[in-house]
Amino acid sequence: MNKNKIYPMWFAVLALLIYSVLFVLPGLIGIGYSFTDWSSYSNQLHFVGLENFKTVFSADENYLKIIKNTLVFTLGTTIIKNILGLALAVLLTKSIRLLNFHRGVMFLPSVLSTLILGMIFTSILNPSSGLLNTFLREIGLGGLAKPWLTSPHYAFKSVMAVDIWRGTGYIMTILIAGILSISQDYYEACSIDGASSWQKFRFITLPLLLPTLATTTVLNVIYGLKVFDMIYALTNGGPGKATTEVLYTAVFKKFGTGQYAIGTALSSVMFVFMVVIGFFMIRMMTKDEVQE
Amino acid sequence: MKLRKLAVLSLTMAAALVFSGCSKVESGTAGSNAAGGSSLEETKASSAQGKDNVTISFMASQDWIQDAEIELSKKFTEETGIKVDYQIIPSDQYVNLLMTKLNTGECTDIFGAQSGKFDIKAQINVEKNAMDLSGTSWGGQVEPLVADELSVDHKLYGQPIQDVSSVWAIAYNKQIFQKLNLEIPKDYQSFTKVCDAIAAAGITPVYECVSDGWHHTLWLPEAGVQAESKEPGIVEKWNENKATFEGDTTLTTILNQINEMVSKGYWGEDYMSNTYADSAKNIASGTFAMTIANQGFGVEVNKINAEIAVDDIGYFVIPLADNQTLNVNPAGPARFVFSGTKHKAEAEQYLEFLAKEENLTYLTENVGKFNKLPFKNAKSRYTETVQEFYDRYPNKGTVVQTAVKYVNPQWSEMGANLSAMIVGEMKPAEVLKSIDEVRAQQAKAAGDPAWK
Repeated sequence: MNKNKIYPMWFAVLALLIYSVLFVLPGLIGIGYSFTDWSSYSNQLHFVGLENFKTVFSADENYLKIIKNTLVFTLGTTIIKNILGLALAVLLTKSIRLLNFHRGVMFLPSVLSTLILGMIFTSILNPSSGLLNTFLREIGLGGLAKPWLTSPHYAFKSVMAVDIWRGTGYIMTILIAGILSISQDYYEACSIDGASSWQKFRFITLPLLLPTLATTTVLNVIYGLKVFDMIYALTNGGPGKATTEVLYTAVFKKFGTGQYAIGTALSSVMFVFMVVIGFFMIRMMTKDEVQE
Repeated sequence: MKLRKLAVLSLTMAAALVFSGCSKVESGTAGSNAAGGSSLEETKASSAQGKDNVTISFMASQDWIQDAEIELSKKFTEETGIKVDYQIIPSDQYVNLLMTKLNTGECTDIFGAQSGKFDIKAQINVEKNAMDLSGTSWGGQVEPLVADELSVDHKLYGQPIQDVSSVWAIAYNKQIFQKLNLEIPKDYQSFTKVCDAIAAAGITPVYECVSDGWHHTLWLPEAGVQAESKEPGIVEKWNENKATFEGDTTLTTILNQINEMVSKGYWGEDYMSNTYADSAKNIASGTFAMTIANQGFGVEVNKINAEIAVDDIGYFVIPLADNQTLNVNPAGPARFVFSGTKHKAEAEQYLEFLAKEENLTYLTENVGKFNKLPFKNAKSRYTETVQEFYDRYPNKGTVVQTAVKYVNPQWSEMGANLSAMIVGEMKPAEVLKSIDEVRAQQAKAAGDPAWK
């Protein structure tokens, strides 16, 4: 390799410096604060060891439910978005009429602001005057009209459904790019060997798409763990104590009530989750991937 | 080569922009310093000459200083020669800016801050940062409950700015009450009878909106004034950590009765998704008969439905736990004189001027939202209905969120707990226990000796 062709390290110094000052340093300071009693009620700061983490993981508190909610949301939306996104990507790489129109329609929800979507869906899912329930009543299916966002039985599933609707188009677009990069030669060879459509998908598309699927999964997982705006706009963690509360909405509320230390402890827990999950997921998903 | 030239050019432009930005800030600072310096010199010069050209500065959050007050200040300048320089700050930045200025000892001569006997001591530290105004001519004119929220150790530190008389009460449609021959309930029992009669007529008795997260919370701390009426001294015990919310019979009764209202269908079906913004619309439409609102509600309903006159909306106190005490909240924005001011006499003169009867009348007549400023010598312009409502309840009590420490900061958390109780996730005792726990957390964080 010609060493002259490689950019020297000092090219990265400024970027690294800015990144460290704006991202790494505040992150480390935040983790540091989670070992203190920092709050808006006192100017003094004391080291309290693992006290805040004990509170976070205490069975008496609600935080374990919040962590569970975050993980369920992440897992559920990631799996369903990937499955639906893959199905749509396969469909929309076939020769069908108005292909780009269909792709555009599916991608559209991802372009809109999450907060605006949240507000629109709050109205659509309103139990008395919402579009969905009105429609169900109009077609004689009034029994299916439910309090989607205001009942503890449906709220979490409704929030996940709206998020899946919003994010599937985005995943689909990435997967379409992945599918289009697979050489047609493989499919032709398969056809000559008499492979069925399912076999082509199972033995050609899926293995060659694994690196792209790994990317979409990582993106989804990180998004899921960090989700805030969708939940904030739709239910703000309610109804009730913590039906749809996730880590970021909880952090937001803790900061709002001046309990900064607990807030930073929750952020630190989330940071550890993201690092661990991200690391193992990338390791696992890139283990068997096929290189062309 | 071209690329390099382009890069050099862009870098130069970027550097120029950065420096021009910095220099702008510098020049701005220099300007303000110069202005500050000149005003200081002017002031020094003027103090030698007398009060002519003395300028006192007054910093407040937006909406706290009314146009009418600025007009009055012109009259003040004519009378005394003292000018008033208003510094109006956006409300979301105000507290941070005020705290910074107080902590650095460079505050304006007069500053605005929210009253509240615990907050002014713990947050603003008025004993250090503000002048004692107890001896002023108007000090004794401030209504006692309001003065209490502006005092520490019986010393008055502030002057109220706004009308704080409006209370959260049950606003009801008088037309529906007359049609069904109903009377204002005097206890919970009679309230349920009223609700039953309204429901029987096909009207939903109460409009409640849980989705906003704050409105349904009002039932507990507003009707909670009954706790002190039933057990005098309980508020003090709560503040000294000698009693807990959990186990308090009045608060438990209120929560049980909230559950009962919901289960009996008094709140209708869609209370979880209703919004506060729609409350006037729903009362105006006649589909609901009552809601918790303050005394401007009649005007709002009248704007939507002219057939319901402003006085067709009446008010009565929240009768949960048989409450008949008027739930006042005497906290609100107030003027404080900065302890480090060089114009103490002039600042006090300004406050004295504002508290004159004719000036209080001028403010009340010229500020739409003022009905009665909290001074004994201030005139009121309540409508007959509102006046009758206030007169009906001779007993007044301060709402729990103001009277009891560490309740107001957890308002949204209380709201979440209450909605959890309404949907059956929590029991009333658990809600009260949770409030105690959050209070304890906040008290410990604040280093409150009662919680050590």
